[in-house]
Amino acid sequence: MVNKMIAENVLHRPVRSTVSILAVAIEVAMVMLVVGMTSGMLNETARRVEGVGADIMVQPPNASFMLGLSSAPVPVKVGDRLAQVPHVLAVTPVLIQSSLTNGIALIWGIDMASWDRVGGGFVYHAGGPMTGPDDALVDDWYARANHVKVGQTLTLLSHEFRVSGIVEHGKGSRLFIPLSTAQDLAGAHDKASIFFVRCTEPAYTSDTLDAIHHLIPAYQVLSIKEYMSLMTSNNLPALQAFVTALIGVAVTIGFLVIFLSMYTTITERTREIGILKSLGASKTYIIGVVLREAGALCAVGIIVGCVGTVLARRLIEASFPTLAVELTLGWGFRAAILALVGTLIGASYPALRAAQLDPVDALAYE
Amino acid sequence: MEPIIATEDLRKVYRLGKVDVPALRGVDLVVQEGEFIAVVGPSGCGKSTLLHVLGGLTAPSSGHVLVDGNDFMTMNDADRTRFRRHTIGFVFQRFNLLPTLTARDNIAIAQDIQGNGFNPHHFQAVVELLGIEGKLKHRPYAMSGGEQQRVAIARAVICEPKILLADEPTGNLDTENSQIALNMLRTLNRSFRQTILMITHNPEAAAVADRIIRMRDGRIVSG
Repeated sequence: MVNKMIAENVLHRPVRSTVSILAVAIEVAMVMLVVGMTSGMLNETARRVEGVGADIMVQPPNASFMLGLSSAPVPVKVGDRLAQVPHVLAVTPVLIQSSLTNGIALIWGIDMASWDRVGGGFVYHAGGPMTGPDDALVDDWYARANHVKVGQTLTLLSHEFRVSGIVEHGKGSRLFIPLSTAQDLAGAHDKASIFFVRCTEPAYTSDTLDAIHHLIPAYQVLSIKEYMSLMTSNNLPALQAFVTALIGVAVTIGFLVIFLSMYTTITERTREIGILKSLGASKTYIIGVVLREAGALCAVGIIVGCVGTVLARRLIEASFPTLAVELTLGWGFRAAILALVGTLIGASYPALRAAQLDPVDALAYE
Repeated sequence: MEPIIATEDLRKVYRLGKVDVPALRGVDLVVQEGEFIAVVGPSGCGKSTLLHVLGGLTAPSSGHVLVDGNDFMTMNDADRTRFRRHTIGFVFQRFNLLPTLTARDNIAIAQDIQGNGFNPHHFQAVVELLGIEGKLKHRPYAMSGGEQQRVAIARAVICEPKILLADEPTGNLDTENSQIALNMLRTLNRSFRQTILMITHNPEAAAVADRIIRMRDGRIVSG
């Protein structure tokens, strides 16, 4: 009977109910999308590094595991020393540069020959390898997002490049230029930002790692597996704080809308609460009715939010093909719990206020 | 036999701002089980307050109030709510049906609040007695005043309360519907020995009762 009454109340005030449902839906969608975009970006970056095909990465001292933040080039000759380490099959140097033309982009300067030995080379969707100093490669996601075609001129680092090929995404970066050109443009001759090392067998990774540590103790040496495990928002305090702040804003919005909605409802229904009290409804009964109504609105809001999130993800990925949004069941569940807790807290004060109404005053309410 | 309602020097004082307003100034009343009593008197004489106190909607300020053996002076709000749930049925002048529910649900919710679950046989008997079988799917806005009041009476008696308190039940009804509502109250009283305390301004309505109590200035002046 109470469920029926709640359903009728929800349907009786469609605008109020819709606004409440939308607030919860936005809260859920915001939490899921913020987390999904953050983890999507990090995981996709990590997968691209894994896609290089190396077992170990070597960076200069004090370099960040966020590769775009590494601006401490070291001599390419370090690569020759690495190549001498037992069980090392191939080493490839990469000079990473940031371009602010058409948004922030990381451009990897690579040496095609050693790159191919480490990772087995690119898969070409169109065109072919870089053959000249002004050639560039883009991955298929970048090409789709920026409508880039083979042969087209691309301005990167204030320099004009000819797109020689479009490659399968998932190998390091989205933009590649020859290492020597990158070094010229950066004024860092014979320098690299990072070395990718391929072992003769993956089983030798640990031994090789130790040997490299011994050889160049000040350098940062990580297995690709370790690097993958570091690529979480927990290891990026600023990003974690940003995500937490956005989640806090989303939960606060949901809380406030539900609070206002239920508070208004209680005021509108003062007389009805008086009727229930005249029939002998206890405070617990009245609180239960209000909280269950808020819970019902929240439940619908969560469903709408989840559906909205999936639709928003499709829209984002269609509009920005280079953005990855990773939605997980775990975060969907957490977003639902956050919404439910926010809703119940938001509805608690109106519920208590309703329970404490004087029945005589409530019955006389106009 | 013990009276079902007994008050002695019952007083109720409301506080409006910084002013104390005495609504009941020493009411002595005895009601036997099965009595049908009409309470009459001018506006502001304390009739409704008396009904609210006897129904447990508000606490008395002083005096003695025994209803069905329960001493209201020793009961808190939760005790009176529990008591009201099982012992009192209210009928109001403005019907006070829940606007979003159908007639059927308005009646059934009283059973839900009482906690004994829906009793289809008793439900059927009550709606037949009150002649509202055809209106059960209607919401209040789709019913006439007379029909709404019959639904309200059905809701008040569905849990078989020992006492029915009616606050001007014919106040919003035309003559024909007033007569129907009064006949139903009379039938409930005669057929089921339902104790009824009814406030009214209408002398014809009061005449239906076994006994008429007159109030003035918060006191019973006759009856």
